[in-house]
Amino acid sequence: MRVLRQALLLLRSELRQELRDFELLLTASFFTVVLLAMFYLSFASLQSKAHLAAIPGLMWLTIAFVGVLTLTRVFDREREADTLRALLAAPVERLAIYFAKAAMTLAVLMLCCMVLVPGLWLMFPAGAAFAEQPLATALLALLGCGGYVAIGALFAAGLATGAGKNTLLFIILYPLTTPVLMYALVTTRALLDHHPDLPAYLGQMAALDLILVSIAALLFETVLVGGGPRSTSPKGQVRRTLSREPSA
Amino acid sequence: MRKILPDLCLVAAMPLLVYSVHRVFLETPNERQMGTAFKIFFFHVPMGWICMLMAVVCGIAAGVQLRRRSTMGAAVALAAAEMGFVTGLGVLLTGPIWGNATWGTPWTGDARQVTTALLWLVIVAYLLLRHYGPRSSDRLAAALAIFGAVNVPIIYYAVKLWKTMHPSTGVVASLPSEMWASFWPALAGLLLCCLGLLGLRIRQLVLAEELDAAWVQAQDPA
Repeated sequence: MRVLRQALLLLRSELRQELRDFELLLTASFFTVVLLAMFYLSFASLQSKAHLAAIPGLMWLTIAFVGVLTLTRVFDREREADTLRALLAAPVERLAIYFAKAAMTLAVLMLCCMVLVPGLWLMFPAGAAFAEQPLATALLALLGCGGYVAIGALFAAGLATGAGKNTLLFIILYPLTTPVLMYALVTTRALLDHHPDLPAYLGQMAALDLILVSIAALLFETVLVGGGPRSTSPKGQVRRTLSREPSA
Repeated sequence: MRKILPDLCLVAAMPLLVYSVHRVFLETPNERQMGTAFKIFFFHVPMGWICMLMAVVCGIAAGVQLRRRSTMGAAVALAAAEMGFVTGLGVLLTGPIWGNATWGTPWTGDARQVTTALLWLVIVAYLLLRHYGPRSSDRLAAALAIFGAVNVPIIYYAVKLWKTMHPSTGVVASLPSEMWASFWPALAGLLLCCLGLLGLRIRQLVLAEELDAAWVQAQDPA
């Protein structure tokens, strides 16, 4: 309960900061529109059968691209002011920081989905199924983005605590978020096909999100500040870990 | 004994590999449908299994590294990832050759192909992060390895839902006895070779770390 209350407080602070200049919301939604326009120019001439196969890929590729942009920016703010360290030193549960950052990123991605899904529907006639099943579409977007953010927030935070090398987020995130994106692809195709197993797919996505959030939450503190005692050599001397982190 | 175990593995692997090559190419009959291309199976499948094993070893070692800040855990994770990279590359190179001869196309987007390719990408990401990451990126890399190990079955299931035309695991079980007799030496030879190289690399990494620590101590005796 304490974690939830602290996470809500941190999220409120994030939202307040965002509402001052709308930087994240504007850049992410503009990037979504740009991607939509590029996809339209590339694929509009294809047959409608090909659109049906392409829409899931277009949707989740856009989320993957916009997600990295958002995650980078969410943690860049902390990095520029060096406030992540202050936040870690503050009497706040580390888990609350993770949940607040993840919720903020999820909120931005959901807003992008509000631009993306109608855009796909308008540009490609095969996307009409989105409008026919708005609840399932909203749930699909929430679960897909949720799983992506669960992993992304952990690694973006880990990179933000180091100096520079933020570009590595692209290298880490795309291979790791593939399971979520694959599931989202399968479920989106089931939604467009009006497949009877759609609720089962959505249930599996929810279970996958739960697993990913649990693992990320378990690892968050250890990744950011380290954990456990240092191993000792047989002679009892403290040995450094096999890393480039400075010795204590 | 522990110190010479990697060397023993390599010494045992050499005759086994020579024997398995001799057996596969000179004594094992060609498969009726796939012909000579089927001989790739005797190296492709063991490398696939070893790659999966190395990914799991890397994930477990990374967990130990995070939990106990263990030098050995970090060394095992890195060495296993490197071996996973090599064997994964072997699988990804031999697979399309076999697939092209069997299915008429090198890449079908099948569940196992995609799973192996993505697992290999996670291993590459891990190695890039270990080598080029910022300070304290080792913890981040360890988390990546854990997620990578967890991801394997999930990716496999997701792609299987999508489509599959890869031979089922039943193919291995249905092999005739003379093919089994060629398969096990190849698997044992490759596994021993990998374990030997893994042991040597772990030893090298731990020694490098100890040397580094000794140098730091010599620079600042106080």
